[in-house]
Amino acid sequence: MHRVDSMGRRLRISGILVIIGLLVEALCLVWSKPIAFVVLVCIGGALIGLGVLFFLYSLVTAPAHATDSSGAATDK
Amino acid sequence: MPTISVVILVLFTAVLAGVVVVRPALTASRAGKILAFGVLFFLPLFSLVAGMDNQMQRSESTAFCLSCHIMEPYGKSLHIDDASYLAGAHYQNHRVPSDEACYTCHTDYAMFGTFEAKLGGLRHLYIYYLGKPPLPQNIKLYRPFNNRECLHCHLGARSFEQGATHNADPATLPAIKANTLSCVSSGCHDTVHNVGRWGDKVKFWDGGS
Repeated sequence: MHRVDSMGRRLRISGILVIIGLLVEALCLVWSKPIAFVVLVCIGGALIGLGVLFFLYSLVTAPAHATDSSGAATDK
Repeated sequence: MPTISVVILVLFTAVLAGVVVVRPALTASRAGKILAFGVLFFLPLFSLVAGMDNQMQRSESTAFCLSCHIMEPYGKSLHIDDASYLAGAHYQNHRVPSDEACYTCHTDYAMFGTFEAKLGGLRHLYIYYLGKPPLPQNIKLYRPFNNRECLHCHLGARSFEQGATHNADPATLPAIKANTLSCVSSGCHDTVHNVGRWGDKVKFWDGGS
């Protein structure tokens, strides 16, 4: 149960990082100043990258078997 | 990919990621796992690459270069109503694409020319925001303008190959092609932007795009 909750929490963290990164990217795309590219790569790209890496980390450290169907993603 | 398409893709991905954040339990099913992989791995990376590509393409536009205040006089020089001004004559007569005027002449037509131009752009950003930018009239090229950039278009053109001045001396044309006689700094086409040296009599052409 604890492990399953932990997976859901990790997915949330990963999702939030990705969402913030994507919002930064969207803002940069409509911001027509040269520094927008730097902000897109350094902030947006970093947040998206962290979110993706955290998601992959969640996958490789997920419990092999879980029985709680009310929780988040687990291998069956 | 047009900017609006990339923005829609980015927002669509963010909304889908929001679904996973709000309802992580969805990922318990096989379809949910595929959704999670798509919105937390594939789509964000694809959106990022699409966004960076869009920004890269935008950085080639004349409007992008002129969005720095320091470049304003150079943009203005493109509208000078005097055919002896090389940059203005090229821009106004569409000898270069008017929406990529700066990039067309100031990017080396060599293997890593585009990469070097982008790297130079990052250096300009650093100087503009964190360094001490020079006055517009004090901006200099990093290295002498290479004839290769001119010959990329003019080589083989009748006006260039059979031009009276270019053929007045048999040694001129080979020297130009060998880059030993500069097009812009040998007293021939040396009026390019001339920022800071326009004087009071210069007129501007307000047509074109």
